[in-house]
This record gives sequence, structure tokens and C-alpha cells, in this order.
Amino acid sequence: MTPVSQTIRVTVLFFGRLKELTGHAEDSLDFADAATIEQLFALYAVRHPELAKYRSSVVASRNQEFAAWDTPLRSGDEVAFLPPVSGG
Amino acid sequence: MAPLPHDDIYQLVREPIDMAALARQVRAPEDGAIVTFDGFVRNQSHNRPTLYLDYEAYESMALAKMREIGAQLHEKYRIHRVAMTHRLGRLEIGETSVFIAVSAPHRAAAFDACRFAIDTLKRTVPIWKKEYFEDGAVWADGELPPAPVATPRAKPAS
Repeated sequence: MTPVSQTIRVTVLFFGRLKELTGHAEDSLDFADAATIEQLFALYAVRHPELAKYRSSVVASRNQEFAAWDTPLRSGDEVAFLPPVSGG
Repeated sequence: MAPLPHDDIYQLVREPIDMAALARQVRAPEDGAIVTFDGFVRNQSHNRPTLYLDYEAYESMALAKMREIGAQLHEKYRIHRVAMTHRLGRLEIGETSVFIAVSAPHRAAAFDACRFAIDTLKRTVPIWKKEYFEDGAVWADGELPPAPVATPRAKPAS
């Protein structure tokens, strides 16, 4: 790991009620390197305070795979925040 | 995971699902049974009359998850082919939202695989439905898919 801090760009997707709450389905964000999915969510929760109360009922994905909240982000990642699924 | 048979079908569609055509496509001379699941829009939810439903998906991930389910079916059960189709957009009462067909040489595997497929789809595939009523709309209660709790810890530097 190099200690050099740099900026990375990630695509962020919201679905269902999270999309309505944030007002967008897709966003693109420049972010500090070595940041985690948790920190990304927290950043949106600052912009949209109602998001915080959904934190425990959201799962995250990174590049179309379910991902842990402490997953570090890399440039070009596609992160999605997914409310409980209700297909079928 | 093993590659999927090329004649399996996994799709998201915005038009009515042609169930008969899908059932025909999984049927082969070496099979002895097809089990199908037809999930369709109910006219009420928690005793409130439903007007219609609107489905949305994280399409690329939903398709990937559906194919993962298919791969699990082929690993776990002695089945031949799978067709799994979910419809998106506005659906009226009685319209089919999800259809699954599984063919197999013998019925038990087809029943078990079809049940596993719909149960797993409902728990893990990123699709959401919004229910519209006379007096408003709500996102349906759903299930939180199982996700990793933490990333594996890096080995300590030696």
C-alpha cells in the first residue's frame, strides 16, 4: 500500500425508496482514496439526513456483488445502496 | 461456479411473459417432468385493495444473481434446463410478474429446484415493487439480502 492519498471517482446508484429519498438514481462522486462504502453512505447521509435511519435496512453492493460496509473503494467502482428486495 | 448450459434462459422483460413458450423451451425428449412457478399480481395487500404494481430492478446485478441461482440449481439438483423470467414496469392485477420453469428426468428434482429458485430469487435478486392503492403508494416490505459482514482482514505485514 502506498501512503499517497489521491482522489478516486465512483458511480453511486440508489434504488427504491432510497432513490426517492436522495432524488437521484445515479450519481458520480470524487472521493478520497481508501475510503469505504460506509464512509460513502455517511457522506450521502449528511446531504440527506433521512438516509441515516435506513442504514440498518440497506445492503450495499460493489460492482454488482453484495459487499461489506468496510469494503475499500477503488476508482471506477460502481456502488449501489439497496433497500430490502421485494421481487417475485 | 460451473458455466450455465447455453439453453437455459434468464431474462428481465417489460412485456407480458409467454409462459407456454418458456415451458416449451425447457422441454426435451430426455426429460420426464417440468415444474413451473407462476407468480402473479394479487388484488390486495394486507387487506387493502391493490390497483397495480410497479417493478424496478438493478438490472445488471439482477440478471447476474438470477444466473447465479441457475448455477446453484444445476449444482444441487439433477435437473436439465431452467427458464427464469421476471417482468418489470407496471403490472395489473392477475398479470404474471415472475415465471420459472425447470425440467428434469424425474419430478422430485424439478419440484425441489423450482422451490429453491423462487425462494432464493425473492431473497437475493435486487428487484423492488411499489404497490399502488386508492390513497397512495408504498414500497413493498422486502427481505434484506445476506451480505458479507466484513471484508477479510489483510494479513499482518511481516
